[in-house]
Amino acid sequence: MRFHVCCGFDLQLSSDIFRDILDSIIVDVASESHRIARLGLDRNLDLEEEELRMSAEARARASDPSHSGEANGKYIVDIFGQSHPAIANEIFDCMNCGRSIMAGRFAPHLEKCMGKGRKARLKATRSTTAAQNRYTRGSPLSSQTPYSNSTSMNRSSNGSSAIVGDDYSNGNLEEP
Amino acid sequence: SRRHSVNRPPTPDVRDDDDDRPKKPSLLEIVNIKLIESGEKERLMELVRERLVECGWKDEMGALCRAVVKKNGRENVTVDDLVRAITPKGRASIPDSVKAELLQRIQTFLVSVAH
Repeated sequence: MRFHVCCGFDLQLSSDIFRDILDSIIVDVASESHRIARLGLDRNLDLEEEELRMSAEARARASDPSHSGEANGKYIVDIFGQSHPAIANEIFDCMNCGRSIMAGRFAPHLEKCMGKGRKARLKATRSTTAAQNRYTRGSPLSSQTPYSNSTSMNRSSNGSSAIVGDDYSNGNLEEP
Repeated sequence: SRRHSVNRPPTPDVRDDDDDRPKKPSLLEIVNIKLIESGEKERLMELVRERLVECGWKDEMGALCRAVVKKNGRENVTVDDLVRAITPKGRASIPDSVKAELLQRIQTFLVSVAH
């Protein structure tokens, strides 16, 4: 390579390379800004502001009476333009007791349907403490893990929320 | 009128062989290839990008770009518009320390490939 290395380097060459690198970076920055501008991403000034705006827009769309034929106009419209009732109203037969059940009421029905059936079938040989722990009204101290007691979770609507959730049970979400 | 030929730029010399023989790569081209092949160019660019973010240069350029977008209109602005808008200021507002660091690294590289 024929440039003069010994007496301090080819300044023109290194300057050219510097200029070349800088220009590439400038193009990158311009390209990124261009993308942001064309995609409208610079409108997300503040995440909260954006979320407020989007929920306001969604509310406006939902309360627009022309969107669904329902009388009370409160149903949400999905992305296909369909509206669904708040409680699923398809009717089918419970596979446990054979009764006709409405889909939206199936889960509570199943709790009682299977729970009562089990209770009735409990033999005396089963340990009573196990039965008490499983069906007792929710006291946070009595359940070992968050998942042990789905029935008591539903019955204890008095606000004992220690069972619910893992990391966020104390209400502290990490700020991004 | 006939005077126009006076203003015609001089015809460049045409060497007969020139069109057949491939041009020799310039020194800059050779060095550039070595820079890229060794991965040093990418490292240098990452280094400079980092420095330019730290010192706020990138934010400054971003603000300039947003001004151009506002002026030209979001749908009308091209990458070229933005490059032309920010290049003069971009080149001029490189902090001296960043420039020095980069030149140092480049010169070190030149020494290493010379041997």
